[in-house]
Amino acid sequence: MILNKRKIISSIALFICFLTACWGIFWLSFILVDVIRHGISSINLNLFLKDPAPPGEEGGGLRNAFVGHLLITLFATLIGVPIGVLGGTFLAEYGRKYNFSKIISTLADIMVSVPAIIIGAFIYAIIVKPFGHFSGWAGAIALGIIMIPTVLRTTENMLSLIPWTLREAAFALGAPYYKVIIQVVYRGAATGILTGIILAIARVTGEAAPLLFTAFNNNYFSLNMSEPIASLTVTIFQYAMGPYEEWHAQAWGAALIITLFILFTTITGRLLIKRKYKE
Amino acid sequence: MQKQRGKFKDLIFLSITAVSAFAVIAISIGIFLVLFKESLPSMNKFGFEGFIFSTEWDPVQEIFGAAPALIGTLITSFFSLILATPIAIGIAIFITEIAPNFLKGIIGTAIELLAAIPSIIYGMWGLFTLAPIMSNDIEPFLQSTIGKLPLLGKLFEGTPLGVDLFTASIILSIMIIPFTASIARDSFNLTPSVLKESAYAIGATKWEVVKDIVLPYSKLGVLGGIGLSLGRALGETMAVAFVLGNLNQIPKSLLDAASTVTVKLANEFTEADKDIYLSSLYYLALLLFLMSFTILALAKIFLLKAERK
Amino acid sequence: MTPEIEIKNLNFYYAGGIKTLKDINMTIYKSQVTALIGPSGCGKTTLLRCFNRMHDLYAGNRYEGEIIFQGRNILSKDTDLIELRSKIGMVFQKPTPFPMSIFENIAYGLKLRGIKKRGELRERVEKALKDAALWDEVKDKLNTNAFGLSGGQQQRLCIARALAVEPEIILFDEPTSALDPISTGKIEELIISLKGRVTIIIVTHNMQQAARISDWTGFMMLGELIEYDKTDRIFTVPSNKLTEDYITGRFG
Repeated sequence: MILNKRKIISSIALFICFLTACWGIFWLSFILVDVIRHGISSINLNLFLKDPAPPGEEGGGLRNAFVGHLLITLFATLIGVPIGVLGGTFLAEYGRKYNFSKIISTLADIMVSVPAIIIGAFIYAIIVKPFGHFSGWAGAIALGIIMIPTVLRTTENMLSLIPWTLREAAFALGAPYYKVIIQVVYRGAATGILTGIILAIARVTGEAAPLLFTAFNNNYFSLNMSEPIASLTVTIFQYAMGPYEEWHAQAWGAALIITLFILFTTITGRLLIKRKYKE
Repeated sequence: MQKQRGKFKDLIFLSITAVSAFAVIAISIGIFLVLFKESLPSMNKFGFEGFIFSTEWDPVQEIFGAAPALIGTLITSFFSLILATPIAIGIAIFITEIAPNFLKGIIGTAIELLAAIPSIIYGMWGLFTLAPIMSNDIEPFLQSTIGKLPLLGKLFEGTPLGVDLFTASIILSIMIIPFTASIARDSFNLTPSVLKESAYAIGATKWEVVKDIVLPYSKLGVLGGIGLSLGRALGETMAVAFVLGNLNQIPKSLLDAASTVTVKLANEFTEADKDIYLSSLYYLALLLFLMSFTILALAKIFLLKAERK
Repeated sequence: MTPEIEIKNLNFYYAGGIKTLKDINMTIYKSQVTALIGPSGCGKTTLLRCFNRMHDLYAGNRYEGEIIFQGRNILSKDTDLIELRSKIGMVFQKPTPFPMSIFENIAYGLKLRGIKKRGELRERVEKALKDAALWDEVKDKLNTNAFGLSGGQQQRLCIARALAVEPEIILFDEPTSALDPISTGKIEELIISLKGRVTIIIVTHNMQQAARISDWTGFMMLGELIEYDKTDRIFTVPSNKLTEDYITGRFG
């Protein structure tokens, strides 16, 4: 009697767990299908090759936002990745035995989740205000700062996975530490670090909040990083909240492109790491 | 000679890496100091209690109070946490204890993809797709069921417009599920299998093993995961900005439009034409930074303790 | 002597198809202590874990043959594993106290069986702890966390936990391998004191231990049961050359 009751309770509880997994999958599919459904019809060459038409008019595209987004992300990567990789190197190698290295690691873990909009406000105060205007650089620095802790932590973890004996073998040949790191340790951890970088890029590609008051927006095509510059995410926000059907359609198109890019990079990153560390 | 040069280059490399690592500390402290400095005018004018308890937000009169935004942030965060936590734990249980091997990977990745979708996509989808469903179907349904109950019914009073705290919390809850779920999954996996075996060996059912052994054993880690999710929810901006309406009022029901700290920042930062206005926004940002930093730090401490066990 | 378990033509394959037990036939007798010995990797623990179907917790494992207990083949698909495991308890290599108090650790199995009354629980917990010779050491701290006990105490707690639900059989998987000699002695005494009340099957890599506490001994090698006989015969007049080599230490 009691045994049966216990088994029924167990089955019900496990079934509820199954339903929670379905709940997660349901929202994922709902969102993805919805973005594809709305976005697919807006994807055409004009979206990539033309600049925005005046508000309310037909036609036009988001060339300015695509190019601007690419530029901001590129420079953010150039800022965030070197600092992240080198910082992670310090924590895993030279600073390995010090307590403050652990403090930096912990702090970096916290900074990974600190609201992105805070970083935007920070950059506004130290760059936008002194220069007197929004700029692509401000946006790139904001995204770069967001990348640092992620890249730093992955680098640190990946380097720590390299067995210490490998370093000793290189030391035994008389190599100085920096050569051991660059020629031996980095090589062993390359895939892992690269994955970390890919995932960090995927993350910042979708950020809008830190760009709102750093890079701001620009309705015209521009390659000048010292001026306000358009980005896909800020444009999506502006267009989606705007009153025109045409804007909404283009926002969905941009949303689809960004979603596909992020899903592709994220899955690639996960596969890379899985293949590398399968054993 | 050769050796000397090697040593010198090593010192240079060490310095570069050290400076990069310390950049994390510099940035963290820098953020705090800059936010603090920028909010000074507002702090001097309104004080601490005067700021956080005041409901006034009037750029024309230059009177600013944080209460509506803070309350909006707290309501959406906690409500989404209440919705997300049981689901996330259920998912973690499903992945670690129930799913056959080939499903583990697939569902695990799917749930992590939920975290990869940018918040702006959540927001847009929320505004154009979810909000109409909420206002046409779900909210009227809830009003005619839960809405009739004493007490709980109060939460669902008002006109169901879809752009409200309820919709925002639902979206937030979907966004934070993966954070709790993946940390809970990792913590569950840390439960020694021999401990589970010994529970099975005295005839426990699978659910009893999960409930009495796995969950108690990994509670620190799960708490850490919940903390991390709360930190994320507090600071989420874009998704909420689309579906909350940025209305400066103390909400009386979950179906009211409202504002949060992040939504206020996103909408008003570039409009702030007066110094005291901008400074008040920085004051909000500082409060948000301190809240989320504290909660994330606590979560991290829990996780570190759980690892050490 | 009544047979308790009858093993017939038992083969066992781990996931991946590796055959780990080969055509095992043996009879375990009621209320006696049966020891399984043999070199590492011989399959003694694998055999032990067949009796309570522990292998079923992991996908891909496969049994062939029969294990008859109480007139039924426990390897059959319709065996109720939860019921089976409540009749056949197990004590593991390392102590495995649950993350709860000492009292709750023992009461846990009882509560699963629907015993809820405070008084009855207290009584049965006390009895189990006394049976496991642990009562005097813990009676003043029943509500403290079980992790606070020493390794030997934790292992006796696990034995008490298994005893509390009054199983027919208790399986011991090298229960003293993680303990110091004094704690080991206490556990051995405890096992001897349980003789006649409960059937015990113990896996050990310590031959002297098998000789000290068991009535029957099975010697296994490479997944086969080489020899199975009364303990005093195995250790004095083994009939198989391999057994003799092993017990005289002439072996790997």
